[in-house]
Amino acid sequence: MSSIPMIEQTAGKGAARAAQRGLGSRRRGAPGGTARRPGFLTYGFLAAVILGSVFPLWWSFLVGTHDSSVISKGVPLVPGGNFLANAASVLDTIPFWKALGNSVLVSTVTAFSVVLFSTLAGFAFAKLRFRGSKALLVFVIATMAVPTQLGVVPLFIVMAKLGWTGSLWAVIVPGVVTAFGVFWMTQYLRDALPDELIEAVRIDGASMIQAFWYVGLPAARPAAAMLALFTFVATWTNFFWPFIVLDPSNPTLPVALQLLQAAHFVDYSIVLAGAVLSTIPLLLLFAVAGRQLVSGIMQGAVKG
Amino acid sequence: MQNRARITALSAAAACLALTLAACGSGGEENAGVEGETGTEEVTLSVGTFNEFGYEELFTEYEELNPNVTIEHKKAATSNEARDNLTTRLAAGSGLSDIEGIEMDWLPELLEYSDQFADLSDPAVEGRWLDWKSAAATTEDGQLIGYGTDAGPQAVCYRADLFEKAGLPSDRESVADMLDGSWQDYFDAGKKFVAASDGTAWFDSAGATYQGMINQVENAYEEEDGTVIATENPEVKDIYEQVLQASVTDGLSAHLTQWEDDWTASFQSDAFATKLCPGWMLGIIEGNAEGIDGWDIADVFPGGAGNWGGSYLTIPTQGANQAEAKKLAEWLTAPEQQIKAFESKGNFPSQVDALESETLLGQTNAFFNDAPTGEILVNRANAIDIRPFKGPKYFPINDAMQQALTRVDVDETDDPASSWEKFVTAVGAL
Amino acid sequence: MAVTDRVQPPPPDTNPRASRGKSVKRLAFSQKVSKWDVKLSPYLYISPFFLLFAITGLFPLLYTAWVSLHSWNLIGGQGDFTGLENYAFVLAQPFFWNAVGNTFSIFLLSSVPQVVLAIAIAAVLDANLRARTFWRMGVLVPFVVAPVAVGLIFNNLFADQAGLVNEILTGIGLDPVRWHSDSLASHAAIATMVNFRWTGYNALIFLAAMQAVPRDVYEAATIDGAGRLRQFFSVTVPMLRPTIIFVVITATIGGLQIFDEARVFDQAGLGGADRQWQTLTMYIWELGWGQRNFGRASAVAWLLFLIIVVIAMANFLITRRIATQGGRR
Repeated sequence: MSSIPMIEQTAGKGAARAAQRGLGSRRRGAPGGTARRPGFLTYGFLAAVILGSVFPLWWSFLVGTHDSSVISKGVPLVPGGNFLANAASVLDTIPFWKALGNSVLVSTVTAFSVVLFSTLAGFAFAKLRFRGSKALLVFVIATMAVPTQLGVVPLFIVMAKLGWTGSLWAVIVPGVVTAFGVFWMTQYLRDALPDELIEAVRIDGASMIQAFWYVGLPAARPAAAMLALFTFVATWTNFFWPFIVLDPSNPTLPVALQLLQAAHFVDYSIVLAGAVLSTIPLLLLFAVAGRQLVSGIMQGAVKG
Repeated sequence: MQNRARITALSAAAACLALTLAACGSGGEENAGVEGETGTEEVTLSVGTFNEFGYEELFTEYEELNPNVTIEHKKAATSNEARDNLTTRLAAGSGLSDIEGIEMDWLPELLEYSDQFADLSDPAVEGRWLDWKSAAATTEDGQLIGYGTDAGPQAVCYRADLFEKAGLPSDRESVADMLDGSWQDYFDAGKKFVAASDGTAWFDSAGATYQGMINQVENAYEEEDGTVIATENPEVKDIYEQVLQASVTDGLSAHLTQWEDDWTASFQSDAFATKLCPGWMLGIIEGNAEGIDGWDIADVFPGGAGNWGGSYLTIPTQGANQAEAKKLAEWLTAPEQQIKAFESKGNFPSQVDALESETLLGQTNAFFNDAPTGEILVNRANAIDIRPFKGPKYFPINDAMQQALTRVDVDETDDPASSWEKFVTAVGAL
Repeated sequence: MAVTDRVQPPPPDTNPRASRGKSVKRLAFSQKVSKWDVKLSPYLYISPFFLLFAITGLFPLLYTAWVSLHSWNLIGGQGDFTGLENYAFVLAQPFFWNAVGNTFSIFLLSSVPQVVLAIAIAAVLDANLRARTFWRMGVLVPFVVAPVAVGLIFNNLFADQAGLVNEILTGIGLDPVRWHSDSLASHAAIATMVNFRWTGYNALIFLAAMQAVPRDVYEAATIDGAGRLRQFFSVTVPMLRPTIIFVVITATIGGLQIFDEARVFDQAGLGGADRQWQTLTMYIWELGWGQRNFGRASAVAWLLFLIIVVIAMANFLITRRIATQGGRR
């Protein structure tokens, strides 16, 4: 880390201390507040929150393990033995694997591009001074206030003109960078990235893009990881627009799953078995990436 | 220099939009309408359906018969989703399937824009459908915009065990005799039943019963020229008052809303004893009432006969393969194929010849006490002689009416008079 | 995209004195470059968003504005130019004002508890827990449940006769609640659905921000003798100010556009027989997709847009004041 002595030389010890602090002397995953182990009450509160959170997923699984009569008769609290049979009919009825591949592709590409472009824009809005920045940020936020339902028709016209209807482009492109992501990254970096740090590397002769790469991105890591996760999940469960714009031969998971409901009498045990199957990849993602995502990595804003 | 290429592409796209979407991008192909050559060129036909048309195996069969055709099936779960999809693509002017399935109740608003759909009238299909079925899809100047697929002739489903408990006749023939006649006769029988049974209602919902009644009126909401008469038409008001009198004052309704959770659960709890049921409803009753014995079906319908539901295949003029699409639609809606759809998913055919098929007439239903459902529904279909006119505002007016009935029957937030006033306001706001 | 995006820049010079050996001319040039770098970079970094918006956002926005000034059938397309007639019509509709009232009611019932609870959960998650990852991922589970499942479950819970909630209420001797006919009860049920889905999500947003608060600030506060609560209100909340502003504004924007949860609350999806829970976005849907009146629907959409902008601005100002008070920045 070359900047600290540099700051000390140019701006005195106080600034250096401030910068040092900004680098997050916080250890990986160190607790906020005091380091005391929390008490019984805390765990009780959390357990209640988690129970409420997990219940619907568990309920879906319960229904998915029974048969078609379970909805009108009331859902028992113990799983039945029908899950594999239901899962098999899901796989028989819809192009599950193709849809899964499409969903993975669309969600991954969207998550990556949203993080990259949002962090870039957030870095500019939060830390760089330029003419019109305030007004432009307000404009970005204002775009979120446009009601989405009506955008469907004109957006469809745009996609038709570009010749993208039916292709995954029509689902990926509108989500490549979101106002939500830009706004969040702006707000996060405002406090999480001390100005002194950027000044320091600038004095070291780094260009803007280098400042972004070596200081901005690392400081944004926890929020960026979170944004990636959120974007991935939101894209994964998005139904209406993909349903309107995609063709049956090339669906994403939610579009394929709705086929399970196409019947005079809807067998919800199969529908929910499908819903559970489509959630499993997300839970795996939680398990694999969870540690990375939530341990609040602040190992110094600059990999030195 | 990939970057530059991409920037060029993006700015081209932006320029496109700046030119208020002048014709850049992929232009539409020339198409020969429905009169073109068929059977020679390789073609992929997309077919949009919803809910359950029962066509999966038929598509495979057609592809074998016509090696040049590949069929892509776009299926939506519910008719609402299909309607959103159809509307969006009609509004955007592109992207519809070569063949779009539509529900009977959408016809009024689509007939207004019949130029968006190919004229399918053809000597080959003359007289193929029940009169009212093809007439509903024909414009004033004789354009046929859709080929009928299935129909929903209605009978009365009932709980024989509960009838017996209440001392009413419970076998099919006697029940049909008892309920034969006007709606008032049906309600009078209900009063007898309710008086003699403990806590079980006569029918499930005022809204569902009203639907059976209003579909026997020729011009309920609109005149042929589109004038809205819903709020002044004495017939509508009479039916409204009659059904609420029966439901609320006489206590014949179970105060449920069709399709809601309470309604679904009620099949398990002896909540009501009769239900107006078209053919496609049988499977739903069977599913919801699993484990309940005693359901049966009678060859009768109050007020004569009625139809609820059924669909058509249309061919949007947006499509590039209208001739091939028409050939496929004609094949799918031929009596032989609709019989197969009936065998696979129970969709009751709307074709005249299909109604004479042995397969159909021989159909029985184990859940409904082995009732000859095929024969019963054929009789019900042949009994239909009324063609209710539904104009472009039928959909929103009927929604407003259903809400008016629900306010009194289910929510109990209004009495019949105040709820009617709200209905008048809602119709006025259209 | 900037060409520089592709190039891996060399790490910054580790020895600042090394650059003194460079020629003056080179220095002048590089100063010029650097000046442009400072001037242009910000615009370059925000350009992807605005480029995309130009293609997928701006056109729909202007198109909708154009539509709202015409009589326009969704299928039939453009009719006569009517100026502000559509606006005048919907503003005179009691249904419009009913939808405005419902929207605000559901918005308040969902946003306020949601933000407060999310901060509380985040504060707890920020503590020194065992099995930290498990707890943190657990609160995000509602966000992954398929919408179809959420709709089914909550309809099952809130059914008026056969629903679990009312069964419990009658079980303990209380009157059942009329979820689908009483206006406020329906708002509460829908708000529950919204809160279920978004509280954990917002909690993690707060958590990410809390993680960025340097520890020594807390240590200093502990030395000053501040208790846990005092620390939370004097240190954590002020430090979270930008994030609180972010969550409040996004919750406002999302809350005023509430659609999905209200639509699946019954099968008809029209907001109740007496429009008890019809929100503005549902009203837009009814006008545009139910009545095919695209012109009026677009007018309501623009009115909603203006309402959201005004409320979001007001919330921004209020939040800024609240989050600043009590903070020793």
